[in-house]
Amino acid sequence: MASTVGDPVTTSSASAGQEKLTSRGRPRGNPWRRPWAMEGFTWLYIVWSIVPIAIAVLFSFNKGSSQATWQGFSTKWYVGNQVTSVLHNPSLHQAVVQTLVLAVITTLICVPIGVGFAIGIDRWRTRTANGLNILMIFSFVIPELLLAVALFLLVTQALTFIKLGTPAEVAGLVVWNISWPAIIVRARLVSIGPSYEEAACDLGASRLGAIRRVLLPLLAPAIFASAVLVFASTVDDFVIVEQLSSTANTQPMSVLIYSNVHAGLSGPALNALATIMLVLSLAAALIGYVGYRWMSRGERSKGSADALAGIAGI
Amino acid sequence: MSGGHVKLESLTKRFGDVTAVDGISVEVKAGEFFSLLGPSGCGKTSTLRMIAGFEPPTSGKILLDGTDVGKWAPHRRNVNTVFQSYALFPFLTVAENVAFGMKYKSVPKSERDSRVGEALEMVQLSGYEKRRPNQLSGGQQQRVALARALVLRPSVLLLDEPLGALDAKLRRTLQVELGALQKHVGITFLYVTHDQEEALTMSDRLAVMNHGRIAQLGTPEEVYNEPADAYVADFLGVSNLMDAQVEPRGNGQGPCRLRVGEFTLEAQAGQLDATGAVKVAIRPERIHLRPYETAGVNCVPGMVERLVFLGSTTHIYVRLATGAPLQALVRNEGDAVPYSQGTPVNVDLPADALRVLPDPGVSVSEIHDETLGDQLLDVTSGAPASS
Repeated sequence: MASTVGDPVTTSSASAGQEKLTSRGRPRGNPWRRPWAMEGFTWLYIVWSIVPIAIAVLFSFNKGSSQATWQGFSTKWYVGNQVTSVLHNPSLHQAVVQTLVLAVITTLICVPIGVGFAIGIDRWRTRTANGLNILMIFSFVIPELLLAVALFLLVTQALTFIKLGTPAEVAGLVVWNISWPAIIVRARLVSIGPSYEEAACDLGASRLGAIRRVLLPLLAPAIFASAVLVFASTVDDFVIVEQLSSTANTQPMSVLIYSNVHAGLSGPALNALATIMLVLSLAAALIGYVGYRWMSRGERSKGSADALAGIAGI
Repeated sequence: MSGGHVKLESLTKRFGDVTAVDGISVEVKAGEFFSLLGPSGCGKTSTLRMIAGFEPPTSGKILLDGTDVGKWAPHRRNVNTVFQSYALFPFLTVAENVAFGMKYKSVPKSERDSRVGEALEMVQLSGYEKRRPNQLSGGQQQRVALARALVLRPSVLLLDEPLGALDAKLRRTLQVELGALQKHVGITFLYVTHDQEEALTMSDRLAVMNHGRIAQLGTPEEVYNEPADAYVADFLGVSNLMDAQVEPRGNGQGPCRLRVGEFTLEAQAGQLDATGAVKVAIRPERIHLRPYETAGVNCVPGMVERLVFLGSTTHIYVRLATGAPLQALVRNEGDAVPYSQGTPVNVDLPADALRVLPDPGVSVSEIHDETLGDQLLDVTSGAPASS
């Protein structure tokens, strides 16, 4: 390896015009050499971020009740233990169900509204529309806690018909996550352009018919990707649901884990719960990636599919 | 298939401060192959989009077989479009793409399949029914787009630079096919292009557009051989434009003599009764290069600046003694061109090929710039870049 790194340096410094020196006075190296520093740093980062998670997951399979000493493999904290396993402890069990309920309802409400918003903004090309579009980026910018506290005050002081618990949690999660479908679907709309819809209208479809028969199928990958992101983001959410949950029955996994750890009640069952949360998010991301690729398979070589996957982070 | 008569009356389109189409009036006969030709930004695509119904006219009328359809939604007009991007639906097969519009035209279900088959046969794509658009080449996609529009038997077919994305050789083949297809189906074709060769080879008549107006309207022969002004002459093929002064004639009789630099030339074409400053044009293929020693009427000395070999012809760039650059076209007949860079020659400009054109009041180079088009005001996307 040393020779492959060294050789080009001598050849390049021999040729005229490439004898510029770096600030340290060394000749510039081969620009195609392996980026050792960058690679090393990347691996360091990956290890740093994955190892704690891997350890947490590992101890959810611990035979004993320690979260620090490995005592052998077992799935008792998931299903085996008749009292404290996720399956049999009603509060842990309830948390999993509540998380799934919130994720499904939020996705079902969020995506249609977001898609409608994106299509509306794309058609309604005015200054107001541009302003509203910027508003969508707000949820990426404003602190989640601020929104959570504001929503808490809203539903407890003004809009009291939205009860704390599942209704308020869903309302908060919809507000927080609506930008996903709005932004992703709009990005897709921009890359699709108006010509397909115009073609549909030209062939005899009304505007609504064109949206239904042409635009929605074209948007399907983006709608699907945003649904998956809303789902995953809802599973992960803590700040909003913590503020807007009421009784223990409406606490999703994230809140339950936090409050138990805070109260000093820990144990591998919580690791198991966290692992379930992680698997749910990862599965959603995987399904999203595979589904998006499959749905947009007819559009290779455009780059839009990969670009969107990049934006979506999946 | 009945009708297909299109009449535009003072049709105008403004995007904010920009006037894309400036009060044009055209009549296209039923069954005609009519082209709108011009550089990008000349308003040809905006005109087409107004006829299709994608843009509302700012003012003026669009009469389709006598009915003003200017305010109708696109799906109500018996007009179909072949888009530059084809806009084939990627999630549908070729057959489904072609059948898309028949649902709206109340074609009985039993008849749809046979009509899809006929349309695909017409564009020579039988057997491709089950493919998806992304499995087809550009030329094949273009044919599917054509079949998808023609299967609805519109009275007018609008074509927006349909060959623009294809390579030159395929374009030539499809030009011939498209022309033959139009004669076969007898539908009015309204063809938008910036390619003068396309417009000349296919059209029955064509309108050359510039700055949202029609600069000249006529058959390809008329427009090419008898350009109305310097702009049209320059846009339709390479035209050599020069500034000239008409020499006063005593009694208004006699040949039209032009003063170009220190030379006097005789012209026998164009506006022979013009006076004062004019532009004079000559096609490259009409210029003859002669040895430097020869002399004669309408011969101007010059020097060869550059030779460009184009296969069947060679372009010879000559600079006249007046300073004007000219291009001459020499057919390749097997012999080597007897000129090279720096060869002094005598440039023979036959009087019957020298065309006197009215002076538009701008320089020759400004006319050249204009025919290259206003790239900033690209209205193909339907809206000016500023919005």
